[in-house]
Amino acid sequence: MSPIDPRLQEALDGERDPGELPADLGEAYARLISAAQLLAATPPASVAARVMAEIRQTPLPVPVQPEGPMYRMARWLTRPRAVTVRLRLAWTLALAAGLAAILLLPSAPGPTPGATEGIANFVGHFPGAQSVEVVGSFNDWSRGTLHLSDDDHDGVWRGGAVLPAGQHEYMFVVDGERWVPDPLAGRYVDDGFGAGQQNSLLIVRPVAAQP
Amino acid sequence: MRWMQVLTLALLATPVGLAAQNGGVTRLPGRVPAAALPAIDSIIATAVAESLPTEPLVQKALEGSAKNIPVDRLVNGVRRGLLQLRQARAILTQAVPGQSPPEGHIAAVAAALARGLSGPIVERLLTVAPTEPPGPALHAAADLIAHHFDPDSATDLLVEAHNKGLRGVRLLDVAVAADHELQRPGGRTPSEALAHVRAILPNVPVPRRP
Repeated sequence: MSPIDPRLQEALDGERDPGELPADLGEAYARLISAAQLLAATPPASVAARVMAEIRQTPLPVPVQPEGPMYRMARWLTRPRAVTVRLRLAWTLALAAGLAAILLLPSAPGPTPGATEGIANFVGHFPGAQSVEVVGSFNDWSRGTLHLSDDDHDGVWRGGAVLPAGQHEYMFVVDGERWVPDPLAGRYVDDGFGAGQQNSLLIVRPVAAQP
Repeated sequence: MRWMQVLTLALLATPVGLAAQNGGVTRLPGRVPAAALPAIDSIIATAVAESLPTEPLVQKALEGSAKNIPVDRLVNGVRRGLLQLRQARAILTQAVPGQSPPEGHIAAVAAALARGLSGPIVERLLTVAPTEPPGPALHAAADLIAHHFDPDSATDLLVEAHNKGLRGVRLLDVAVAADHELQRPGGRTPSEALAHVRAILPNVPVPRRP
């Protein structure tokens, strides 16, 4: 530390008139007094502190919320909670095996036809229909056993079934009341009831006879 | 979905075998109009007495009932089925003398008659393969005739296909091949289409599995 001039020290202590100091000491005296005044003053609050203080003082608008049981349940469900998951090794391995089975194994192939059975696929174009089903000799002409579906709503109805090999007569029933021959059947036979109506004819090949 | 359909079909098929012992008439009450039941029961009893297959008649009764066919036409439809079964057995007995035709063969011939095949065509095809199930050959002939091929020429082709080793559903492929030739761009006549298929026998294409 550099020694301070005794005359400057006396002026700072109030024991000497600062006006009697030489010019260089007078300037040093003035700087020291300014610094002392700056340190003695209360420092202004920082900008961040002022902003936070402003936010704390501003009251938040409180929405009017119902306090019914559904609201309380929703609030209970959405309230943040700390959840701790402890995976044991056995459970972890089982979970991994299950996921691998789902991701890696091929999807279920569906029913497998026997040696004397074959697969029949039905397709019909019925735009605007609400339901289409296949009724025929393979289901005793019973309703509700073989429905076609139109998943993409393009009017094309599809379905399939495993049927005994051989000849089957059938018709489509559209919207539960309209009996329509399969326009794609390729084979038809008079239904024998005297009105000239034709059944579609399907010949199912045994799966063993197909390449 | 498909499992459900198969299960349902299996459940529906189970009573068929049990009902076959009594001609299948137990499947009719509740599904066939009561007014038609006595006449249909009588027709089925006649079929049983004549050792004719009853399942086609039961199916015809169920079909007509599902379609809400009026009773008189429903009974006539079942009776027409009985007549076709009788005619079928007569043709089989003539084509293959000396043995009692199996019920399945009778039903197959009756179905071919229902599709419009003439007795002589049926008899000729039966004579070629007397011990084999006649359904595929008869349907192949019916397919060709339905596509306006000459009946005798179509039968000739099927006989030749059989003689070259094609059996069962492979005879259906012969009809499909002839039809494809007929549809081919360039305009083959039916006789040209048959001649083309005859030339490639027995190597007609096999349809792909659906």
